[in-house]
Amino acid sequence: MTGEAVTELAAPAGPPKRLGGIAWHWRNNPKRELWFAWYSMIIFYNIFVIVFFIMTKTQPPAYPYMPDAQVVSWFGGHRGGLLIGFGIVFATAALTLPSTALIAYSIRRMSVSRAFAYSYLVIYSLSALPGMLLLCVVLSVAAMRPSRDPALIHWLFNFAFLSYVGTMGIFLIGSLVWMLAILLDKNRVLPKWFGYLNLCNALTEVVVSPAWIFHQGVLDWNGLISWWINMVVFGVYTSAFMMLLRTMIQREDFGDGPLPDLPKAPKKAPKAQPATLSSTAQ
Amino acid sequence: MRRADGEIILLWTLPVLAVIWISAFFLFPGFVHPMSPSMTAQQVADFYRNPANLDRIRYSMILFNWFGVGLVPIMTLIVMQIRRMAHRTPIMSYCLLGCIAGGPTVFLIADLFWLLATFQPSQPPELTQLFNDLGWMFFTTAVPFLIGQSLIIALAIYLDNPRHPVFRRWVAYFNIAVAAALVPAAFTGLALSGPLAWNGLLSFWLKNIAIAVWIIVMSVVLGRNVYRQRAEADTGPVAEEAVAA
Repeated sequence: MTGEAVTELAAPAGPPKRLGGIAWHWRNNPKRELWFAWYSMIIFYNIFVIVFFIMTKTQPPAYPYMPDAQVVSWFGGHRGGLLIGFGIVFATAALTLPSTALIAYSIRRMSVSRAFAYSYLVIYSLSALPGMLLLCVVLSVAAMRPSRDPALIHWLFNFAFLSYVGTMGIFLIGSLVWMLAILLDKNRVLPKWFGYLNLCNALTEVVVSPAWIFHQGVLDWNGLISWWINMVVFGVYTSAFMMLLRTMIQREDFGDGPLPDLPKAPKKAPKAQPATLSSTAQ
Repeated sequence: MRRADGEIILLWTLPVLAVIWISAFFLFPGFVHPMSPSMTAQQVADFYRNPANLDRIRYSMILFNWFGVGLVPIMTLIVMQIRRMAHRTPIMSYCLLGCIAGGPTVFLIADLFWLLATFQPSQPPELTQLFNDLGWMFFTTAVPFLIGQSLIIALAIYLDNPRHPVFRRWVAYFNIAVAAALVPAAFTGLALSGPLAWNGLLSFWLKNIAIAVWIIVMSVVLGRNVYRQRAEADTGPVAEEAVAA
């Protein structure tokens, strides 16, 4: 199949909208591997928001400077939410991998060395561990045995939140690798402004480091600078790359030259198209 | 033709590793009759202070510490098989590559906490219980990457060309079943006794038997493919030379 034919066939298809459409795309869409990764990413971030912000109330994080008794009562308040929420994370955390794979693919599609894509893949593959799994296991251990010595519960509490907020290098170096690849790229895979947004994301990992030192104020682990600004930048950054990767998949022609632009006014998908596609996709 | 030299050696490390893993499993007294999460701090401390247990815990965990990571080269052979599939992008092999270090890494953390519990058995019982809890919880909830790799293998098989499949369809269904068997262990924190508890029917027996069966079945289907691929490679260069000539 030529690159041109793929663009022509796949561009109007886009992500599935109706149930029948999903089944059809699942069987025939030549970009189904990429769409699988993209939808996994969307599902993962939805689960992340529901579990961390609503079920376990670990976002925004609890106050870092509390006496032992208050830490114990923090656990007592939502023990069930913590244990069920983190159970959901343990069952679904692997959804982070298709997202990492898709970003590595975006770098692979650029006019830069494969070294960038592989670096990103390796750096982010284990990001789930300090990025959330340590917090989930350690807080589960604290929540499952409320009768434990309050000083030890407090130690677990500190371990969990500091590992979560204070693990920085993966996201710092990972974002810089992606940034450099975007800025060097001549295939126009992702816009240059997003390259600089990667720099903003990397810098949040620098401003979060005082969380290891301060117990109170704007620089502590749930402070205005260390957490809130960090989270706003991360939110903007994540939403941006979700949209940009979606467009990238729509534009993908499976070639290795510059990525073509989307047609300005996309035509409606013709009904007879499946017959043409299935003959090529199968 | 992609080079496959050395894959046979990597493949045959598995039976050796399996013997070590099984020995270490039975050497650790906490696995033979899995320790109950409802044990008191004093009972846990006594378990680690018992001279009959102490050395067995240390030696088994040192064995696991050395050889747990041995699973990674085997998993990488599965990645090589996925790269042979009729996919349009490397997304599936990237996903699996990302997955394979996760399981051994989380297991390594569990291993460290079990070893920590044995390092100073005279420490306060609450501390021993804490290390024991952390060891068991990391061990039992280490399922995300294992669930992920099973589902990714299943999906990769589904996306392969059904006329010339690298793995047959039943391998995909088998992997989905294994993934489903691992899910209950994710919720082990909810119970200190019963099937969900870390020594329970679902979180210990079902999960660990599923992992063992998965390793056996996948190594057999993988081994068949590696040997078949090698046989094809042996005839391949002759044909290529003929063309070149």
